[in-house]
Amino acid sequence: MAAVGFRNWARALSRGKQPGFSALFSQIRAASGPSKGMLPGPYPQTPEERAAAAKEYNMRVEDYEPIPDNGEGYGDYPQLPDRSQHERDPWYSWDHPDLRRNWGEPIHWDFDMFIRNRVDTSSSPVAWHTMCKHLFGFVGFMLLMFYLGEKFPSYQPVAPKQYPYSNLHLERGEDPEKQPEEVKHFNI
Amino acid sequence: MADYREAPLATRPKTLDPAEYFNLSLDQRRAEEERAGLRAQLKRQYQMQLNNPHRKELIEDPALTRWVYARTNPYNHFRATKKTSLLGGLFGVVPLFVLYYVLKTDRLCLTP
Repeated sequence: MAAVGFRNWARALSRGKQPGFSALFSQIRAASGPSKGMLPGPYPQTPEERAAAAKEYNMRVEDYEPIPDNGEGYGDYPQLPDRSQHERDPWYSWDHPDLRRNWGEPIHWDFDMFIRNRVDTSSSPVAWHTMCKHLFGFVGFMLLMFYLGEKFPSYQPVAPKQYPYSNLHLERGEDPEKQPEEVKHFNI
Repeated sequence: MADYREAPLATRPKTLDPAEYFNLSLDQRRAEEERAGLRAQLKRQYQMQLNNPHRKELIEDPALTRWVYARTNPYNHFRATKKTSLLGGLFGVVPLFVLYYVLKTDRLCLTP
């Protein structure tokens, strides 16, 4: 299937103006020092500019869709699907396996956000409403119980501490001659 | 699974994506072949450079160069619209005044 694509593509290219072998590689070329046409430019206004930009980014003209021009400085950079690298096939032989990306493939504007250490847009294993119910149910339950525990404290019965020797009469520095007052802590 | 709904901001698993099963028209297949052709060309270029015994330097990735250039030079295509002006004001101008006021009134005498 790739061979068929290559043949069609080579046939289309051989109709181009440049003669010979170099015609086959003029469309996609490793840039040794990018020229003006190879770097991103302003938002494309005409279909020719679009085609040129698609060729520059190694995309099909039909696939190339620039990020909408709202003045935020994107230029003619293509709008690629917001898919994280988590979603890409782990078993395919990528050129850069940790990034799950091939050499020369157009990079998403937020590529550094979508790497495998960061944002993951793949589908969740459990439905969203189930996840919400579980999380908020648990958190809500714990909040309720802690609130009730504050309102109705429950602990072992306690009383003020009772000291011996007439409430530590001598240790507290009172007069040893004076008779200490009798404190009754219990009734039998 | 007919009522499957993906989580917000997440995508469908590939096996539940209808595009995988229903994109069978000739135009779509031709499009897929063209994309595969482009991919194959890039792969071939990379492998030729990678396995070239006379190569001494790093393999430079033009897509990476373009991405870095695009990310570091947004001001070339910047335009002052309502949204960009609002964002600029909100992130650049308002914090100056807010922080000044907050830090001044946080002193012990509590006067600006």
